[in-house]
Amino acid sequence: MDIYAQNILDRYKKPFYKSLELGVGSLKRDKDPQPQADSYQLAKRKEANHSCGDVVEVGLEFQDEKLKQYQFSGNGCAISMAASDMLGDLTEDMTADEILAITKEEIYEILGIEISIRRSKCALLGLLALQNAILESRDEKLRGWKDYHI
Amino acid sequence: MNKSDFSIFAQHPQLVYLDSAATSQKPKVVLEAIQKYYTEMNANIHRSAHFLAESATIAYEATRKTVANFIKAKHKHEIIFTRNATEAINLVARSWGETFLKAGDEILLSKLEHHSNLVPWLQLKEKIGIKIKYLDIDEVGQLIFDGSQITEKTKFVSLTGMSNSLGAITNLKPIIKRAHEVGAKVMIDACQLAVHSPIDIQELDADFLAFSAHKLYGPTGVGVLYGKAELLEKMPPFLGGGEMIQQVFEDHFVAGDIPNKFEAGTPNIAGVVAFKAALDYVNQIGFETIQKQETSLSEYALEKLKTLPYLTLIGPQEVENRGSITSFTMDKVHPHDIAEGLSQKQICIRAGHHCTQPLMDYWKLPATARASFAFYNEKEDVDRLVEGLEEVYQYFS
Ligand SMILES: Cc1ncc(COP(=O)(O)O)c(C=O)c1O
Repeated sequence: MDIYAQNILDRYKKPFYKSLELGVGSLKRDKDPQPQADSYQLAKRKEANHSCGDVVEVGLEFQDEKLKQYQFSGNGCAISMAASDMLGDLTEDMTADEILAITKEEIYEILGIEISIRRSKCALLGLLALQNAILESRDEKLRGWKDYHI
Repeated sequence: MNKSDFSIFAQHPQLVYLDSAATSQKPKVVLEAIQKYYTEMNANIHRSAHFLAESATIAYEATRKTVANFIKAKHKHEIIFTRNATEAINLVARSWGETFLKAGDEILLSKLEHHSNLVPWLQLKEKIGIKIKYLDIDEVGQLIFDGSQITEKTKFVSLTGMSNSLGAITNLKPIIKRAHEVGAKVMIDACQLAVHSPIDIQELDADFLAFSAHKLYGPTGVGVLYGKAELLEKMPPFLGGGEMIQQVFEDHFVAGDIPNKFEAGTPNIAGVVAFKAALDYVNQIGFETIQKQETSLSEYALEKLKTLPYLTLIGPQEVENRGSITSFTMDKVHPHDIAEGLSQKQICIRAGHHCTQPLMDYWKLPATARASFAFYNEKEDVDRLVEGLEEVYQYFS
């Protein structure tokens, strides 16, 4: 049986950016940026795909406008968890605006497998949480599935 | 056994279809009935005065009679066609609920209910402020009822006849009896029950009952609402339009008689006509045969699934008081991933909350995998499922 590509399976089993518990209070601080009043920003957001019970919460720490720490926690299928983990590599040192410009195609590309319509929400749940974390911290209108045209 | 009656299995010879609780496959006789309707008698019913409309109306009304017989309703005008069971439940919540319930009245549902039998009542709660109580369930998914849950305050009870998530068949008669003692009306969501068990509405004595044709080997887009005539007569129309009126003036209208009062607009005529073919087919096989086959499949599936140490069966663990639905979880593997793996082997199951989120929350399950069997399934399908599950588990460990 070969359900998903090896990279997805590996990330699902051994994630780099996953913290154990939901709740941004439990964020690990391995890089430990020194919070400095003006240049330090924190954002978090939880999103769920209610139809399959998947939940992803992301926690972001920006220093000098660049993303220095990405973490997520959650429950879900291999695709949603692997995609949420891969977001950590993709977004390293990105600005908030660069993160908001990430498209679903980029996520599909880093996953490296064909994403069927029925799995598109699995693939994009982490991105939704990530982008909405930023939008929410700016008090801007949040995105929904229709914004990804799925 | 009956697979050759269903064209889809010829189209997909490797198909193991274990998602009949979501929608069943359709026998050839149903497909032929749709074709025959459009070829031989397509016309709008009840309206036009020509011979085609006459044939179409006769065929449409023949289904109403067949449905009435199917559940042993006294009168054919107690059968109303809707789009699906969901619409049938909404019809009762809106038409009966908004007319006969007021703020503070209590209604009783259960923790097993499908969203279709929850949301219309939650909407009514928002709109007029009714109170909703829930019957608890035990560890195998049976309703816990000792009479005390229904009081003088209870005005309406709406319960499933069989859980679509767990397969448990609920023991309704004592609940219906008690509800009637306090003057409450009762609705049964028979979406799953009607597929697996004969229904005698006289004996059950429910006031309303709903199910969908598409789970009962019929086409999509057809639902059935049964209601006792004396109740339906007192209820205002749900939707307004053609077909449901007697007279329309500039400032008022006079609603037609039941059942037309509740069938506004052109219905799914072809679907209703073809639903008769589905019921005739079921009657011809007979529930005795259907139940025998489904029970033996459930028994075999339970026995086999119990041998897989990494599976946890959710809901009833034995074949008693259940229909042929089995929910389970797999250690460390998400139900979606199970379904994806099985799908590669052309085995179709459902993964998710099965539209019963309150039940899932109550048992703290994010989701389950669900295999549901129909009489057209075979033991070999269970073997393929078990093989598939073994492979999925290996893949993730
Ligand atoms: C118990 C139960 N109630 C209600 C429904 C809703 O049926 P439909 O979507 O056909 O209206 C279903 C089907 O999913 C069901 O299993």
